[in-house]
Amino acid sequence: MTQTLTLTVNRQAHELAVAPDTPLLNVLRNDLALNGPKYGCGLGECGACSVLVDGMMARACVLPVSAVVGHEILTLEGLVIEGRLDPVQRAFIEAQAAQCGYCLNGMIISIRALLNHTPRPSMAQLRAALEYNLCRCGTHMEILEAAELAVTINAGESLEAPHE
Amino acid sequence: MSDRQPTAAGAELPKALASPERFGVVVRPPHYAWDGEHFASDHLVAIERDSVAGLPGRIEVVVEGDFVAVVADSLTAAQDAARNLRLEWRTASGKGHDGSPAMVAETARELANEASSRALPPHRHDYGWPSRLRWGDIPGWVVADCSDHCLTLWVQTLTPEALSQDLMALTGLPAERITLYGASPARASGLGRHCGDDAAMDAALMSRHLGYPVAVWLDAAYDRDRRALGQAQRITLNANVAKSGEITDYHYHQEHASGNIAAVGLWLCGKAPGRRIMTDDRALFSPYAFRKAHHAERRDAQGADPHSEGLAEIQQAFARESFLDEVARDTGQDPLALRLRHLDDARGTELISSVSRRARWGEPPSPTITPPDRLHGRGFAYAQLPDRHQRIPEGVRSAWIADVEVNRVTGEVALTRLVVGQDAGPEVDTSRLQQTLQARVLGSARPLLGHTPAFDEWGDGSESSGSHGGALMETTTPPETGAGSTSLPMPLHEADLSPGVAVIANALFDATGVRFRQPPFTASRVRRALQDPGNPLQGADNGGPARRSGRRWLKVAALTAVASTAAMAWPWKGAIAPIQRPAANLYSAETIERGRLVAAAGDCAACHTAEGGRENAGGRAFETPFGTLYSTNLTPDEGTGIGRWSYAAFERAMRHGIGRDGRHLYPAFPYTAFAKISDADMQALYAYLMAQPAVSAEAPANALSFPFNMRPLLAGWNALYHDPRPFEPSPTQSDLYNRGAYLAEGLGHCSACHTPRNAMGAERRGEHALAGAMVDGWEAPPLNQLSRSPIPWSEAALYDYLRHGGSSLHGVASGPMAPVVAGLGELPEYDVRALAHYVAVQMGAPAGDSDAISAEASALLAAARSGPSDMEEGERLFEGACAACHLDTGTPSFSSAKTSLALNTNLYSEHPDNVIQSILSGTHAEHVPGVGNMPSFADSFSDSQVATLTAYLRARFAPDQAPWQDIASRVATIRQYNNNTPSPHP
Ligand code: FES
Ligand code: FES
Repeated sequence: MTQTLTLTVNRQAHELAVAPDTPLLNVLRNDLALNGPKYGCGLGECGACSVLVDGMMARACVLPVSAVVGHEILTLEGLVIEGRLDPVQRAFIEAQAAQCGYCLNGMIISIRALLNHTPRPSMAQLRAALEYNLCRCGTHMEILEAAELAVTINAGESLEAPHE
Repeated sequence: MSDRQPTAAGAELPKALASPERFGVVVRPPHYAWDGEHFASDHLVAIERDSVAGLPGRIEVVVEGDFVAVVADSLTAAQDAARNLRLEWRTASGKGHDGSPAMVAETARELANEASSRALPPHRHDYGWPSRLRWGDIPGWVVADCSDHCLTLWVQTLTPEALSQDLMALTGLPAERITLYGASPARASGLGRHCGDDAAMDAALMSRHLGYPVAVWLDAAYDRDRRALGQAQRITLNANVAKSGEITDYHYHQEHASGNIAAVGLWLCGKAPGRRIMTDDRALFSPYAFRKAHHAERRDAQGADPHSEGLAEIQQAFARESFLDEVARDTGQDPLALRLRHLDDARGTELISSVSRRARWGEPPSPTITPPDRLHGRGFAYAQLPDRHQRIPEGVRSAWIADVEVNRVTGEVALTRLVVGQDAGPEVDTSRLQQTLQARVLGSARPLLGHTPAFDEWGDGSESSGSHGGALMETTTPPETGAGSTSLPMPLHEADLSPGVAVIANALFDATGVRFRQPPFTASRVRRALQDPGNPLQGADNGGPARRSGRRWLKVAALTAVASTAAMAWPWKGAIAPIQRPAANLYSAETIERGRLVAAAGDCAACHTAEGGRENAGGRAFETPFGTLYSTNLTPDEGTGIGRWSYAAFERAMRHGIGRDGRHLYPAFPYTAFAKISDADMQALYAYLMAQPAVSAEAPANALSFPFNMRPLLAGWNALYHDPRPFEPSPTQSDLYNRGAYLAEGLGHCSACHTPRNAMGAERRGEHALAGAMVDGWEAPPLNQLSRSPIPWSEAALYDYLRHGGSSLHGVASGPMAPVVAGLGELPEYDVRALAHYVAVQMGAPAGDSDAISAEASALLAAARSGPSDMEEGERLFEGACAACHLDTGTPSFSSAKTSLALNTNLYSEHPDNVIQSILSGTHAEHVPGVGNMPSFADSFSDSQVATLTAYLRARFAPDQAPWQDIASRVATIRQYNNNTPSPHP
């Protein structure tokens, strides 16, 4: 049963004719061509599909699209403002923390969500935040380095211009 | 009339009243009552203060005489304390009576003797006036601050003078030291007091003892005071009527000066001033001249206050004008002609004639087609009022004709037309008067036809009921200044309203054939009177409504026949003749709207809508131990739905489980619960269903195994297990409880899932009621004392769960409960509160979550931080599949579970079913906003993995519970069941 729903994705409103129980991930990738979020497990286990909903981490594969009507959705693409990458994205490029890169969307979104809430996390907090983001390539050490770097860049930027 | 205005409306509200910090709840004696002459109550013998000593927060107990109250830091804390407080009461001793009823009887006998030689028997009727018209207008705070020899209150009152007098009696303070804020505009109705005064007295008593401001919550709970205070005034009228129709002998006997009964708190603390009543034969004024007339009045020896005098005038006019109307109708005379015949007053006669011409009295109403749920009637009343200097002959004559429209289903009365003639003074603005009466007498703040909560009333009466604007609404919280009443019609002089009550009573009689001999004419009273053939309110003594006899009544009876009930008289089998499908607009919009709420509460669509099918078109499959059943088409399609069902057929199906064609329906259809539905709701439901679009859809044939496919056997089943009696509210329970019970036991059919069934598929009774059961492969947990949640439920948590789909301390609605919560979303606030209250009482749950509960919850969370060390496989499955959403990673998450598994009721159950079912099917609550989904793991886990995970979850999150046995076989069974049942979420 399709319905017309309005979703706010990356600061833009979209009217979509979808079944209300379609997973948000499918709508983002198939209807809005936003391929930053990845399909990993479809069961909320791996984190590859993560997006931000109202600034909080959310696993898009288990969220029915009807549950996010009226909320602000940001995908990896939406972290870029006027061509300028988010500090977390820059940290991952700088640290070259990738093998295949499939998990990076989830890693970056999770760190962004943590920093929104805890601007100066400890290493233990970073590890806890990434604990349930799976990486099949074993890139964990590099990813943690990038995470630490992200904290530093982010803190420096918020001194100049507070992020959001 | 006194012009003293104790209300300081417009003045700045003192801070103490605007933000009280202490909250009080009264504990009334088990029995207390005003019997018309005396107040009697149980006496307090002992009080166990220790019984509330252990409760959290500062709790104070206020005792004065038989008045008991507890005061605490919050309303819920005070309610809990009140519930826990142990008191010992001594039953009230017998109450003394003086001879007044005997005297009335004597007059009647005298008249009867005199009459024996005449043609017609004497007429005699009693008219009553209640001590409290209703509990209040809307739920709200009442705050009292008694300090520094001053008393200030934030109150809801219609009778500020009477309240001030009571407060003066309590405190001994002079009038100028008592200030009332927020009172309704002066003499808002002049029709008597409501329980806002009792709440104000309670708050004042508490504040006086404690020396600081105390807030009391005024709501339908105060209806108990209204019932206890009963009748304040009784007027008995006797008359002999000659063959010619002339009234030859007229006796008027009035019991009291007026109905100004002091506040309950004042009686209980023993400070109510004694009333010295004396009988007086002074000639009370009557505008009519009879050959022989006798007036007797019992009145206050001290003399009454002006406010009471005004009320007395209204009461007198009500009794006299109702009585003349009854005499006229009983003797076959035109009510207006009878008045004229006895009116020896040219001015009055002229006035009545002109009003009658203007209103076209006696002409049949224009033949318009009206919905079958509407009744129309017209009434007349007349009064002559003293002028400014209390001179009657110079006074103003006033003649009224009113038209009313009664909704037979909801009992609501609308004043549709009012013609008022007044022969002196300023011209009457009839449209404004009608508007005023509509707002005051019929609107949402209806003082006269006001709201008394009934178990089958929708909403709590505090919301404006749509078409009738609620002009007298006040805000629930103390606002910055006094009540905003500036936009109201000008307050009317009380006496102006004196024919207003009788004129409505007379019009109501004309419309319905029911005589209401005591106001208020509440929707619930009107409805009950209309629907109950053996009217229990009948009879003169309680001033309740009585039915008229004779030809006119037969006509009404014939009209009602379609809708009336004869619950026990249905032929057990036999078809009920099909009817032409009723037009969709046959019933009025209000009735259909009520029906929509009934359908939402009963959640018809949940069962009668197939996956992906049209609403209520049927065809959904139900697996039962006896075979597969399919729900039927409830749309008004003539071929496949209920389009040709008459109301009688519909009602028989709902209450007795017998289809229109006479075949028994299977009790998967919970007619065992629906039998409890009130008549009004049943009719409204029929009206609603018949107004929906028709869908042609044939339900698949049932596939039942022998002998369960033999429908006639169900007659025996019904005889054994079905109780078709409608719901009876319990007089000892609160209205909130009764409303909750009505919804839960009837429409809500909670027991259909939560009560275990016997081998014949019948719900078990007694202690097994709501003791938990299995349904659709899920466990419906116990809702009684057997509830096994990790931390006890509170009424507040139950409310959150039912209204918002989840409680932070217990988890979310899932499985078959998710659509139920979605359906409850349609219901008014009050109804969901009532349901929560009812379930809380079944569980023995407290009102709110105390600090102790929060501490308990934290302890459970801490204990579950790590799992058992010897369940590696389970731990791995949990970490891989569940932890991402079910453990706190320190990052705020939108998609994670909001409640820790350590607080999840399912993990504490005796049965692993709901845990297994959640893993296999996931949880889905798309329709409940804010409640998330859990995916199904049926395809990722083998049976043995599910079993391992389930055992691990129990060990980690319910560490003090015994491990579940036989998990593996339950997993296999449930998976099998799910595979065979088309899942709504593939
Ligand atoms: S794809 Fe959503 S968590 Fe794996
Ligand atoms: S880099 Fe390949 S999955 Fe993480």
